[in-house]
Amino acid sequence: MMDETIAIRLEGVEKNRSNFRLGPLHMSIPKGCITAIVGPNGCGKSSSFSLMLELTKSDTGTIELLGHKVGQGRNTELMKRIGYLPEQSSEHEDNMKGTKKAEFYRFWYDSWDVNRYRELLRILEVDDNGTLGKMSKGMRRKFEFALALAHGPELLLLDEPSSGLDPLAWKTMIEILHRYMDQGDHTILMTSHIIEEVKRLADFIVFMAQGRVLGMYEKDELFSSWSTLFISGDELTAKKAAGAPGQCGVEHAGGTTYRITTNKAAEAEKWCASEGINIVSRQALELDEIMSALLMQDRLSKRLK
Amino acid sequence: MRLPIQINEQSAEPLYHQIKVQLRALVVSGQLTEGTLLPSIRELAQTVKCSVITVKRVYSDLETEGLLRTRQGTGTYVAQVGEQERDRYRLAAVIEAMELAVVAGKRVQCTEAELETIFKETMNKHFE
Repeated sequence: MMDETIAIRLEGVEKNRSNFRLGPLHMSIPKGCITAIVGPNGCGKSSSFSLMLELTKSDTGTIELLGHKVGQGRNTELMKRIGYLPEQSSEHEDNMKGTKKAEFYRFWYDSWDVNRYRELLRILEVDDNGTLGKMSKGMRRKFEFALALAHGPELLLLDEPSSGLDPLAWKTMIEILHRYMDQGDHTILMTSHIIEEVKRLADFIVFMAQGRVLGMYEKDELFSSWSTLFISGDELTAKKAAGAPGQCGVEHAGGTTYRITTNKAAEAEKWCASEGINIVSRQALELDEIMSALLMQDRLSKRLK
Repeated sequence: MRLPIQINEQSAEPLYHQIKVQLRALVVSGQLTEGTLLPSIRELAQTVKCSVITVKRVYSDLETEGLLRTRQGTGTYVAQVGEQERDRYRLAAVIEAMELAVVAGKRVQCTEAELETIFKETMNKHFE
């Protein structure tokens, strides 16, 4: 089945290694949006990228990129429409000059735009004349970032794009990505550990843990549905507070005040109003707090099974 | 162009609603005149740090209300707002703000009399 609005589709994708099992993964990444995958180290983010790009083969399942099935022979044409920034630069290129690597890219990508490439280097303040191994980590990162964008790909896969960048370069990168998204039907799938980056860039957030997808959420909906409420009432007990809709944690906060965490904020507030419970204050949750709550829920649900 | 829209992250009000109310107020009050080109969806999403889905929803809702119009390929513009509509929306925004103020007062257990005093004091401060 082809869908015009989906850029990447994973269905039942699995990969078994001796020490790690990835999947089964189900994911649909929408076109024209920025989707960020977040999750603890070793949860399978980078491995998923390798599978999508066929750098490793999956055991089962189907992967579709831009409407084309991956894993059926050569797909050079498809790969030309994709830009990829790997998490780590390859060691075997350490002795290569930046200009040499750029030449290599220009050879493979028909749509390579030397002006765009030069412009990106200028904005990012990178000199591609040096040897890759001698560049600082951030400098090399910026260089690779420019390379991934210079052929104007429809789909960008960025694996922790900002690692090693200084705050100013980071800001520049965010701006470049925003500008990239403003030009037509572009899609970005990225991984990140930086909360601010996800907040600024992402439209959708995918949570992963232990090789599985825990869920995919629209960013604003996610942040508005999770909140911490301090509630108090004369006859409020921990047991009663635990009955709040979407409750994911209750803590005693002195007197008859309790701190509850909920993933159904609006419903919980209505519930408080109907139960005559006072809401003393409310706080939005940060992404890391949501993530740890989701992981906790996941662990609990697995224990019950 | 940067729109003067401010987001309160701690508010219980959904982001979508906050943006919609403020953008509507900008149009209805005439601060954004007819024909003004609004920032692109991605641009506005970036400045208020929300997703494009939310901004899309706001734009299309205000378009349905007749306050904005989208021209294919060029962007979203401020539409013509009639005198009558302007009046209706003008008061609607004030009524809503007033209600919010009363709710805030009740939250800290203000009495009716207290609220009235505050209201009068505020009025005196601004209408001298």
